[in-house]
Amino acid sequence: MAGRAIQQGVKQVKPILSTNHAEAKRRVLNLYKAWYRHVPYVVKDFDVPITVKQGREKLRELFMKNKHVTDIRTIDLLVIKGQMDLVETAGIWKQRPHIMMYFQDTVNPRPPGFLEKFYEGHDP
Amino acid sequence: MLRLWPLRQAVSAAGLRLMPVACNKSTAAQPAPELVEVFVNDKQVFVEPGTTVLQACAAAGVEIPRFCYHDRLSIAGNCRMCLVEVERSPKPVASCAMPVMKGMKVKTDSPMTKKAREGVMEFLLMNHPLDCPICDQGGECDLQDQSMNFGSDRSRFTDNAFAGKRAVEDKNVGPLIKTIMTRCIHCTRCIRFASEVAGVEDLGTTGRGNEMQVGTYVEKMFKSELSGNIIDLCPVGALTSKPYAFTTRPWETRKIESIDVMDALGSNIVVSMRTNEVMRILPRMNEEVNEEWISDKTRFAYDGLKRQRLTTPFVKNQDGQLVQCDWETAFMAIVQRLGSVEGNQIGAVAGGLVDAEALTALKDLLNRLGCENLCTEESFPMDGAGTDLRSNYLLNSTIAGVEEADVLLLVGTNPRFEAPVFNARIRKSWIHNDLRVALLGAPVDLTYEYDHLGDSTAELQELASGSHPFSKVLQSAKRPMVVVGSSALQRSDGAALLSTVSTLANGLHTKSGADKEWRVLNVLQRVASQAAALDLGYKAGVSAILETKPQVLYLLGADEGAVDREDLPEDAFIIYQGHHGDLGAQMADVILPGAAYTEKDGTYVNTEGRAQLTRQAVTPPGMARNDWKIIRALSELLGTTLPFDKLQGLRQRMGEISPTLVRVGRAEQANFFQQAVKAEKSGGVVLSKDPLIPPQQTLKDFYMTDSISRASPTMAKCVQAATEAETAKY
Amino acid sequence: MARYIEKVTRFYKIIKENGGIMGSVRQLFWTDELKTGTLVGVDEDGNKYYQNNMYFMGRSRWVQYSPKYGFDYDGSQVPPEWHRWLSYISDEPPTVAKLPKRPWMAKHTENPSGTPDEYVPYSTTRPKIEAWQPPVQK
Repeated sequence: MAGRAIQQGVKQVKPILSTNHAEAKRRVLNLYKAWYRHVPYVVKDFDVPITVKQGREKLRELFMKNKHVTDIRTIDLLVIKGQMDLVETAGIWKQRPHIMMYFQDTVNPRPPGFLEKFYEGHDP
Repeated sequence: MLRLWPLRQAVSAAGLRLMPVACNKSTAAQPAPELVEVFVNDKQVFVEPGTTVLQACAAAGVEIPRFCYHDRLSIAGNCRMCLVEVERSPKPVASCAMPVMKGMKVKTDSPMTKKAREGVMEFLLMNHPLDCPICDQGGECDLQDQSMNFGSDRSRFTDNAFAGKRAVEDKNVGPLIKTIMTRCIHCTRCIRFASEVAGVEDLGTTGRGNEMQVGTYVEKMFKSELSGNIIDLCPVGALTSKPYAFTTRPWETRKIESIDVMDALGSNIVVSMRTNEVMRILPRMNEEVNEEWISDKTRFAYDGLKRQRLTTPFVKNQDGQLVQCDWETAFMAIVQRLGSVEGNQIGAVAGGLVDAEALTALKDLLNRLGCENLCTEESFPMDGAGTDLRSNYLLNSTIAGVEEADVLLLVGTNPRFEAPVFNARIRKSWIHNDLRVALLGAPVDLTYEYDHLGDSTAELQELASGSHPFSKVLQSAKRPMVVVGSSALQRSDGAALLSTVSTLANGLHTKSGADKEWRVLNVLQRVASQAAALDLGYKAGVSAILETKPQVLYLLGADEGAVDREDLPEDAFIIYQGHHGDLGAQMADVILPGAAYTEKDGTYVNTEGRAQLTRQAVTPPGMARNDWKIIRALSELLGTTLPFDKLQGLRQRMGEISPTLVRVGRAEQANFFQQAVKAEKSGGVVLSKDPLIPPQQTLKDFYMTDSISRASPTMAKCVQAATEAETAKY
Repeated sequence: MARYIEKVTRFYKIIKENGGIMGSVRQLFWTDELKTGTLVGVDEDGNKYYQNNMYFMGRSRWVQYSPKYGFDYDGSQVPPEWHRWLSYISDEPPTVAKLPKRPWMAKHTENPSGTPDEYVPYSTTRPKIEAWQPPVQK
């Protein structure tokens, strides 16, 4: 018992919001739900050529992008950033291109090889 | 009229040491001079006797305002801006001309000094136009800066009679320098530069007092290859650049430190860039190469970078007409032809403006294809040791080394136009160090006195055998120097010439008793890429190409027409890679657009063997690409991919070939002079009777020598003006 | 009562004038409106111009675009002489008050914006780099 306390004392760092995984997970889910409910309003407010279904798929994709994160502090920070993003979106502090930035379908990936880069432009 | 010549007297009268300490190495070790104690604003400093008050203040960290004083020019002391108070002196003292005395107490912040400065500034501004908003010097004007720092905030000058300010008629001094003489404050820096550094007595003053004017007495061109430097020297906007007039302000441009490639000296330059366009080129200080001067070709040929450019690849169609295409098409045309040709049926010629990176990449690629026929356009004797020993083709005693020499023999060269900044160095040494110069070759105006030994090779042989009258002078020299121009070595008897000169040089070295570090034999190259190409193992001269008559010829920026289509088989395939549409592009079957020296990070080795880097200032135009990348891409399509795809990798490869290529900024010393002489077996080739005549003899030959300067409208105007000036009355 | 009868009568009249039930449905789908009025004139392109002062001013003159335009009708297809009548600049239609035909008058064209014929401004600045042109082989 004592050993474990020491171990904890050494390893423990000051939490940002959550003290354990369950709490962090709850925060993530709350954020996800809030975004999920807000997606129809985003589509309407910003008049983006996106259906609600597409928006929700993108939302899920963006959340799943960070599913490998296990550090509670990192999760908390990501949640905080997600909340800030949501506030900015809900308050229409953004503009349409900011929303479309999530759907970067027109961005060409950088070419991999020397020759492709050479054909592409000056500074591969 | 203001006479500032002869300089030597002025220097000794003022008791000054204008020369850097290093130049006096040749004399016997002097006892350490006693330092003089001076107080600048009660701060104690120790300086050498003979130092001026201004220099002593600089040593104490106090910058004195000045207009007429300049480090590299003689002292005039006529602007009076550098007045300071010296204790126990009734009047303020012009600090630039006053030597320090023991225990001198200088006050640079006292009310007296301030009053003196403000008074001088008030007088200067009284007759200076308030046209800063339309003045090209605005933003880099000494008068602007110093009137803000040291001037008064108000003037007592009121033009009660509405007589107007003093106005002076502008002079026309040629196509490079724009004069607005009303702005002149008579610091005479330009006059001193012309007579001391450039060696052209073209500028001077007429009139006295309010009527004083700086000019050329009669209207004529300022005939100097270094004329552009007076633009930098002018502290106000009286002398500005004509091509640059009204284009940019200095705060709008980005400055990129780079290297010049117009001659083989590798002068250090600053490229000013705005909106992806080279706006102007200025010199950068490098004591070992160009001090702070650059030649007019370096400074003004940049507009050639905007004309006649290759912006897309071209391929010849069935009708024999070059048509624009994309990179894939151009590469495919090359791959198809190169695939059906044996390695020994390929040849390559490298021109004078190519960087070492492209040279390395091309050599690696063609060697992998089994081709050894890589040549430089500029030829050089290959017999004997030839280009195997570095000491054979470099300016071994370095550019700054001229200041240590006491006798200099120039063979078949005109350094004034082949390397103007080097010529300024020789002139500096001639003035300050009593350097004795002798010239073997066509008599040309070198701006200083020299012993003309004749122009035939017979005199050279006499010199080598010691029977020439001048041999006595040469053999009694403590630190002799022999400089042979690379143009002289282009002749058919170049090998014999080089071996005679190197025998002579080695003999002189033993006779003079100079230490081992001293170099006598020097070769003055003319093109920027030559030293690097020879370091990399390119064959000098295109004779190998002319013999083998290859099926495929790769011209890497070769524009001087050394190889013609007539020299090759009927169905020869010519690939041209370069940045200008010049001779090379006209005869090509495929053109690959490359980058000019302001558009790439490249290594250039100058004639002393000093590797220096150019930096990319602007992007290559259109579809043009960096040269080594073109070769790297081509290698991939040919199936022999070169093992580097980053600049670092390529530089590493260059370092493997020759470490001197990557030791940037250092001139690596070359040795093995004796061995070179031993290997020299000029059997067969004998010296011909033809006189040694350098190709550039007068000023009009100087301006257009490569594809960039040939495309430059400014240089064309200069040639025209120089040609007209030859027949002018004055 | 008579008021309602009149409305019903007008409804039937409109239906009839628009080509019966099928024609009215097509017209409604095409222009979102069913109106009745007198034909004032037809222009070169076949656009028909109607007037009915029973409607309030602003709606009392209208154009029925030529069927050749289909659903691609656009305000700029009205020629200027009809435009001045249609926007109440003049009281008389060009059929009545003929406009002088000057020799310098160009033929009316519709606005080509968004079509391949649209006007694209070009740069008037000189290029920074002058490219090399290969010499022409004879």
